[in-house]
This record gives sequence, structure tokens and C-alpha cells, in this order.
Amino acid sequence: MTDRRVDVRHTYDRIATHFASTREYAWPEVEAFVDRIEDGAVGLDLGCGNCRHAELLTTRTDRVIGLDISRGLLETGRARGADREFAGSLDLVQGDCAQLPLGRETVDLAVYVATLHHLPTREARIASLDELARVLTNGGRALVSVWSTAHSRFEAYDEDGDPVTNTDSDDGGEADGFDTTVEWTLPGGELVDRFYHIYTPAEFEADLEASGLETQRFELSSGNCYADVTADENRNALKRTSKRGE
Amino acid sequence: MKESLLEILCCPLDKHDLELEDAEYDDDGDEIVSGTLVCTECGERYPIEDGIPNLLPPDMREGTPA
Repeated sequence: MTDRRVDVRHTYDRIATHFASTREYAWPEVEAFVDRIEDGAVGLDLGCGNCRHAELLTTRTDRVIGLDISRGLLETGRARGADREFAGSLDLVQGDCAQLPLGRETVDLAVYVATLHHLPTREARIASLDELARVLTNGGRALVSVWSTAHSRFEAYDEDGDPVTNTDSDDGGEADGFDTTVEWTLPGGELVDRFYHIYTPAEFEADLEASGLETQRFELSSGNCYADVTADENRNALKRTSKRGE
Repeated sequence: MKESLLEILCCPLDKHDLELEDAEYDDDGDEIVSGTLVCTECGERYPIEDGIPNLLPPDMREGTPA
């Protein structure tokens, strides 16, 4: 598993500059989230990439931590922070989203956008959601998004992300998503594979439920699932261990 | 890296506090340019590389591409 996560790091190190140049603008769903939340002291952008969403959070918080696995992407975030004059509020950290180097209840506002789906196992993805729950303050709020089967490129699924085939199969249920690789085309035509787990919306909701997070709001938009979450007040209790013991 | 970030950071493995060693600061003295963050519990050492702390767990830090 570690190998595949190091692969994700290598991939984004290779494509960092080109990738960041195509990620100029914040997503409208993230802008809407930042508009509907209250101010806080500390913000966190998990899988921050070029920090376009960290930049938005600086309007709501005193400081924002931008965390990414890829040093190459963090450098693009540093450049954006300097260009757009939010570097003074930005703290860059290289780290793993499933093993956060942040203390318990230190983060008031977080965005975790288009990153969770790069973690290669359900175990790692739920561990990562648990980590987000651990670092959120009581009353802290986060937006988590993943690419989903509701995206128009996945023809075997309807617009709600439910499978249109195999409806009578009993091995699916919440686990109807799938693992795939999605190529990134570098200038000059070189292709670089990126690992993705494509979630069904029901499966994403189930993973959130299995974690120490509580879902306050859920939406499908442009083929992505978005969840507004808070930390479950019992997140540090043992009960969650049995909830996911399957 | 700002020194005040130490209040938020912890060891990714056991979540204990980190201690700053061998810090070098920029000309203004505001930013730590290099140094080492050491876990007060397990002793794992995390480098600050050109101002950015590398807090990847050790097994994910290895294997930098050629």
C-alpha cells in the first residue's frame, strides 16, 4: 500500500507544474462552502496542490495550513501564495492525508477536495477521514469531495451515480465504486497514470458514516460528491471500531 | 516555516509533540529555513527542507525518483 501512495507522490511531483497551471480557479462548490461557514482561527487544505482553495480559506481564518504529499505541488502553492499575497497566512506542510502531523482539535475550517480518491484502499480512506475528525475542533467544519460514478464519463452509472447494470448482483451495495487509473497528458504528449478510487455516492456516504465524521450536508455536483462534515462528538470513543469491523 | 506552527504540528506516527533542533532562520528571523523536528516520544526525525517541514511518515519519505 505504501508503494502505491509513494507512486501518487511521484506522479504529482512529475506533473506538478503543468497540473497546477491548469488548476487556476477555485471550484464554485468550494467557494459556496466558504461563503456559508463561520470564521475560525486555523484553516486546513488537505491535498492543497497549488493552494487555490487554501487561498479562499485565508479570507476566513488567521492562518491556513496547506498540506500535500507532493513537494512539487507544494512549490506551486508557495509560488501562488507569493504572487497573490497570501503567503503571510499560509503554512506549507509535506505530509500524508491518512497520517496527519497535526494535533487533536487544532483546525476550525478544512477543505479536503479531490484528494481522498487517490488513497488506494478503503482502510486508508477511512483512516484519513478519522484523521480529519481528530484534528477538527468541536464546532469545526470541513468540506470533503471525491470524484464519483455520477460523472458523465462513467456510462455504467446513472446521473445519481447508481449502477445501471448488475442491479440484481448482491456483491455490490455500497461497494459499487471501482479502482482505476486516469492518465494525465503532459505537454509533448507523455502520459502519466494517476490512481483513483471512483466512489458511488452511497459508498462515499457509508465511508463517512464509518469514520469519526458526521455528515451535515451532502450534494452531487458536476460528477463529484461533496459533504459538509463535523467531527462526531464521540470520535475518540471505541464504538467506531466496531462500526467498521466488517 | 513559522515557529508558531510548532503548536499545531505533531508526529504523524504517534501524535506526540515535536521539538525543533538546529534551526536556521531567514534574514528577518521570521521563518525557519532549515532544521529538524524531533518527536519527543519516539525520537523520529523530520527535516525542514527549504522552509517546508517534511512530515511524511519515514516509509513514505523514501524512494525519491531519480
